[in-house]
Amino acid sequence: MEQLVPEKAKISPFLVFFLVHTMQFGIGVLGYQRIIAMTAGYDAWISVILAGLSIHIIVWMMYKILETTEGDIITAQSFVFGNKIGKLLSVPFVIYFLLIADTILRTYIEVIQVWMFQDMSTFWYSLAFCVLAIYIIFGGFRTVTGVAFFGVVLPAYLLFSFFFTIPYADIKNLQPIFDHSIKDLVMASYQMSLTYLGYEILLFFYPYIKDPQKSKKWAHLGVLFTTFLYTSLTLLTFAYFSEGQLQKSIWATLTMWKIVEMPFVERFEYIGIANWNIVILPNFCIALWCASRILKRVTKIKQKHGVILTSLIVLITINLFKSRVQINTLIDYTGKIAFYINYGYIPLLFFLVLIVKKVKKK
Amino acid sequence: MIKNVFVILMVFTVLIGCVQKEILDDVNLESGSAYDYVGGKIKGTALVPIYLPNKEVQNKTFSASSNLSRDFLRDVQRQSSDPLVTGSLKVVLFGESLAKENGILDLIDSFQRDPSIGAGLYLATAKGEAKDILEGQYGKRGNAIYLSNLIRHNMKNKDIPKTNLHRFLFDFNQLGKTPYLPELRKISKDQIEISGISFFRYGHVVDTIPASKMFYFKLLVDKYSRGTLKVTHKKERAAIESIRSKYKMQLSTKKPFTVNVKLKVNAILNEYSGKRVTPKDIKEIEKILQKNIEKECTLLTNRFQKKNIDPVGYGHFVKSKTRKFNFEKWKTDYPHLKVNIKANVMITESGVIE
Repeated sequence: MEQLVPEKAKISPFLVFFLVHTMQFGIGVLGYQRIIAMTAGYDAWISVILAGLSIHIIVWMMYKILETTEGDIITAQSFVFGNKIGKLLSVPFVIYFLLIADTILRTYIEVIQVWMFQDMSTFWYSLAFCVLAIYIIFGGFRTVTGVAFFGVVLPAYLLFSFFFTIPYADIKNLQPIFDHSIKDLVMASYQMSLTYLGYEILLFFYPYIKDPQKSKKWAHLGVLFTTFLYTSLTLLTFAYFSEGQLQKSIWATLTMWKIVEMPFVERFEYIGIANWNIVILPNFCIALWCASRILKRVTKIKQKHGVILTSLIVLITINLFKSRVQINTLIDYTGKIAFYINYGYIPLLFFLVLIVKKVKKK
Repeated sequence: MIKNVFVILMVFTVLIGCVQKEILDDVNLESGSAYDYVGGKIKGTALVPIYLPNKEVQNKTFSASSNLSRDFLRDVQRQSSDPLVTGSLKVVLFGESLAKENGILDLIDSFQRDPSIGAGLYLATAKGEAKDILEGQYGKRGNAIYLSNLIRHNMKNKDIPKTNLHRFLFDFNQLGKTPYLPELRKISKDQIEISGISFFRYGHVVDTIPASKMFYFKLLVDKYSRGTLKVTHKKERAAIESIRSKYKMQLSTKKPFTVNVKLKVNAILNEYSGKRVTPKDIKEIEKILQKNIEKECTLLTNRFQKKNIDPVGYGHFVKSKTRKFNFEKWKTDYPHLKVNIKANVMITESGVIE
């Protein structure tokens, strides 16, 4: 196999932790609780753990695929289907990452518009955000990784703000445990897997990892850390809200900040939402980077031009989503597509790679 | 090229700033509001503190009538020189007739919906007209601060059970639990007191207990209750202050439902009218207290059952101990629920003298 990436552009294995975790932990955190509680009631935290653990299997499969073919997903697809079909199959991923970028940015802008500034323009904000993202991606993958690192570390203090809800927590809400059927729990796990999406970026930046063997541990740790955060947040939310109350809250996580009282700030949500900008910036950058990277690998377009092209598409399409209902539909579809890619296509590719490898050996 | 990029970036930064500004000096911060039911319409009153140059706070109120809570704010805007904003709303009062006849559900919805209103907002009902209370003159820091401090310190250190907007919504949306709020009463132009607790069913006040029974109720709902009690012991009177209390509920039988409540109260003796208190007296006072608590708490529970409200959350508790709990059936079971209350009082200290 040809060398895909020069040595100096590669990243340390431990940074995979931040890349995987930051991509998983983004806009979905603000309001996933209501959706899973609708299906599995207050037993849904079990589903959060189940869905989180299932990801480890997928990550393991992804590493197997990548190790066998020594490249990214496009190498793997070429390996299985041949060069032309392999490249053709990669094109939908461009659309997929553009969808993700759209979802992230539009949902975040919606949150700002609902919670802070009703009259903020979607277009101008997206434009500024895209310019920033383009600037970061121009710096190369190492810069994107750096942003991912800070996207995790800098806003980490926000986690402490959730301790304000503990005096209001009522453990009785969670009892009795296992009051819902296994079917409900599995259904909620499915819904939860939509919130967990993002770890599939591993398939695209794998060639950039120095010493990929060592990065395995970090990728799994990243997923585990996300699972831990989501589970604790779910438990806190369920103890803090009564069931009827949670069903009314679109952004349960943000609503929890309403109880935070500090002498120097009247409404903590404003600080939280503003900080969330840092949380979603790496997500948006990584999505754009992946889209432009695939474009570069499939066609002859330079990545720099690819980034500008993809962000232009985002800028145009983001204005199509105007109301809550439309945004919700966007989120739903993105989640579903992500689910089929992660739990359908990746295992399929995994088995195909194994089979083709055996056939080729013979 | 670089110059162009720089210019474009500058334009962005300027354009992104084009959102509604709210400068503190140019808005009227609504710090309290009151709602009454007058002549078939909801009459809303907004309280705005005006900070005078000599550091005094003047209480300015705006009133308007309408059918929707938000509508009232829009009407009031026409009376106010600066835009009214709700970001620092501290206390909301509901008038007696509104809380009893019309219900407060529609109003609560708007507090929940508005992102700028905090969940720590204090709600209270008023004896009489709520507007009347806001129009008094209490303290030097403005009425809203006075009222919210009054409620806060009484919840923290005294007999008022903890409530705020979040707890109200929590109880309201919880099956097997009903919400409650403190009730305020105006004594004179510059005096106000917490006169009891109002209990709600579907947003209507259906019962109110007087201040003397508040502590017993607090024992049943709050984890660490502080509060004061008066006891008569052999013609002498003693004042007892609870330092901390714990309650433990147990579901002992399911057919019929029986709940055992164990209350543990640690207290100190604050005042005693006799000459001296011996350890024997203290033991006896503890006994009397235990009996009082058991009697009063049982009376309260029976009262709630009769009124078909459940502020203690027995339903919620039984649900947490029962698989596949049926709330429809609970509706008929609740009046027959048996509650055994067992109190354990320990007076640890009796002050610096014997």
